[in-house]
Amino acid sequence: MSIRSASAALRLVRLRGAEAMSGSVGWLERVVDRLPDSPVFQFLARHVLVPFWAWRTPVAVAEGGPVMTIAPGDNVQRMMNLVMKLKDPSPIGRAKAALAIAQNVDEIYAGLNNVGTVHFARFVLVGDHLCMFSVYDGDFTNYIRDFIATIGSVFDAVVALIDGGDAVIPTEQNVEAFIDWVHARDLYQVPDLATDLLNQQRDGSATETDIRRLPRALILQLQANPNVSLGSGYRAYPGFSAAQLRHRLEVGW
Amino acid sequence: MSAMQGAFDPSELQGNILRGYRRAAVRYAVFEVVKPVAARRWLGRSASGGDAEVPAVTPERSWSVRPDYCFNVGLTFAGLRALGLGAAMLAQFPGEFAAGMVRRAVKLGDVGTSAPECWPAPFDQPARVHLVAAIYADDGAHLDAVQRLLEQGDAAQGLRLMGIRNGGNFDGDFVHFGYRDNISQPRFAEIAEHADLGEPIAPLGMALLGHSTGLEGVSWRVPQPSVLGHNGCFNAFRILAQDVAGFEGYLDQTAEQLLADPRGAVLLPPGDEGRIGAGLTRRAALREVVAAALCGRWRNGVPLALSPETPNPEPAVSLTAFDYTDDRRCPVGAHIRRSNPRGAKIVQRVASHTRRLIRRGMPYGPRFDPDRPDHVERGLLGNFIGASLGAQFEAVMYDWVNLGLQDPRITGSNDPILGVNDPATSWFDLPLRDGKPIRLAGLPRFVTTRGGAYLFLPSLPALKFLASLSPV
Repeated sequence: MSIRSASAALRLVRLRGAEAMSGSVGWLERVVDRLPDSPVFQFLARHVLVPFWAWRTPVAVAEGGPVMTIAPGDNVQRMMNLVMKLKDPSPIGRAKAALAIAQNVDEIYAGLNNVGTVHFARFVLVGDHLCMFSVYDGDFTNYIRDFIATIGSVFDAVVALIDGGDAVIPTEQNVEAFIDWVHARDLYQVPDLATDLLNQQRDGSATETDIRRLPRALILQLQANPNVSLGSGYRAYPGFSAAQLRHRLEVGW
Repeated sequence: MSAMQGAFDPSELQGNILRGYRRAAVRYAVFEVVKPVAARRWLGRSASGGDAEVPAVTPERSWSVRPDYCFNVGLTFAGLRALGLGAAMLAQFPGEFAAGMVRRAVKLGDVGTSAPECWPAPFDQPARVHLVAAIYADDGAHLDAVQRLLEQGDAAQGLRLMGIRNGGNFDGDFVHFGYRDNISQPRFAEIAEHADLGEPIAPLGMALLGHSTGLEGVSWRVPQPSVLGHNGCFNAFRILAQDVAGFEGYLDQTAEQLLADPRGAVLLPPGDEGRIGAGLTRRAALREVVAAALCGRWRNGVPLALSPETPNPEPAVSLTAFDYTDDRRCPVGAHIRRSNPRGAKIVQRVASHTRRLIRRGMPYGPRFDPDRPDHVERGLLGNFIGASLGAQFEAVMYDWVNLGLQDPRITGSNDPILGVNDPATSWFDLPLRDGKPIRLAGLPRFVTTRGGAYLFLPSLPALKFLASLSPV
């Protein structure tokens, strides 16, 4: 390279630097901007960068279900998003799951009714998973324990179809283990307020409050908990228990 | 071991579970296990009948002559680990016990001034609370004598005394808010003295692991080997400070409010003050009416469910044989009804009669003198015992005492006496004969948690098993 061309290149770099400093966009910035959308980078990010980053910055798998609170309004209409991997995810296995629900649905619904604190519950097949989504009042363990005490023997037919289900049936004789089993499959609920997520991750030790860290924190959390509930959900009539609504609607509680 | 699971032998239990000792004083000594070998040796000697240097663990038995003292031990999860129990056995204990009382604080309402961060020593170091020994006697000299034994030999070598708490009765069964307590307890068919008191007989599995529970078909996990878990139970040991000045002040304030409210005359018709107590002013009588409604019993223990009009019914009524068939007698939100709804209709139908707790408590601190009100700390050293902390103690505290899920008419309110109340939001409905309640507001928090621990109360064979663990 001649002295002349080298000094020209230097001028160019200076010029680019000045452009960048002044806020105009140079070629390097354009490359960097486009990088996240490039297939090569996406491949590397997904298979190398994020796993390495998560390994370097371990984040605990967040617990499922709503957080414990003492505020009465937050202790009713709580969400359970139970996602259970099927032993047999083939169409045959999925059909078995659909049949297990259909054959026992009356008793399951009667059991939920008897628990008394359940607003809604439904079963959904998503890919390889059987899901039970429900809205309940009060403590999660009481809900599951009362449910099992009422119709545990019936629900065993459903649990038997789930990966890892054999370890907790008969559920009536494995209540504590079954509660833990359900808790482990209940989706983590990302806090409604973004700052709460940071607070949860701080673990009480650090003093990090930089809101700009949020997307990174969220990425790491989603690496640990691939499926999550985004917030605790919308409520048309917050603060009322199932029994309060039944009482006010005079449909018996 | 198979023989152990045959016929139920009460003498294998610690003696403070199925019935109370009814002694005048108690001392709780909180220990950290510092040398497991010496601690296990001490535990083994204690569980095997004791000797001149080691007090014997008192087993369940009927007495012809009361012993000079009774002595029992409970272990935290950290304590079991410190004694050398292996990870595989520890993993069989329920999650709430493993977590410990401190980590369940929000669930129990231990927030604000009740939060574990505010607890004084030794409960400010929960990881070092390993063993809680309870000494029961009728005088301080015997308590001191046993404590001296705990400060010598194997005990001194293996255990470090972290702190003590003293309790004592000052007026029989009456406790600091002026109520007679210790009336209603689960009764068991296996205990001969539990004559028919008109309450349902509780299944043994309500108290002890390895027996049928009150939930049909449901059994709790018994940590294995069987000798470790069988006939054991769990105890929520709580130090609960009571604000007596605040409580009496609230009664004053409410009585004034009712004197000014025309509906106060429906609650207590003028001229009827005499049925509340001889010579009472209207204000004093209203105070007692409110005190009875908050608790569900008059201060002498007579239940509103049987005697809603007077604490001195003629003829006398049972203190235990009652139910809540007539809603207008006992407020739905009253303390004893919230924590034990008996046969009343409740939202969680399957939970009827299944969340009962054995309560063993004794007051601490000086008796409150209304003529010289002070704010010296006083309260209750409480033990809330059952086979499952999650299904009994925690379920009662989280869904019933606070939140009030069991009945839609009280949901969103907390127990008027024990609850996590904030004057800005608290309320309590006083039922009236005409059906429309008077809503009391502004209840402050009267009871503050000042310490505690989740304890496992092993059977005597289990204590010997723990003592025999290999050196760690």
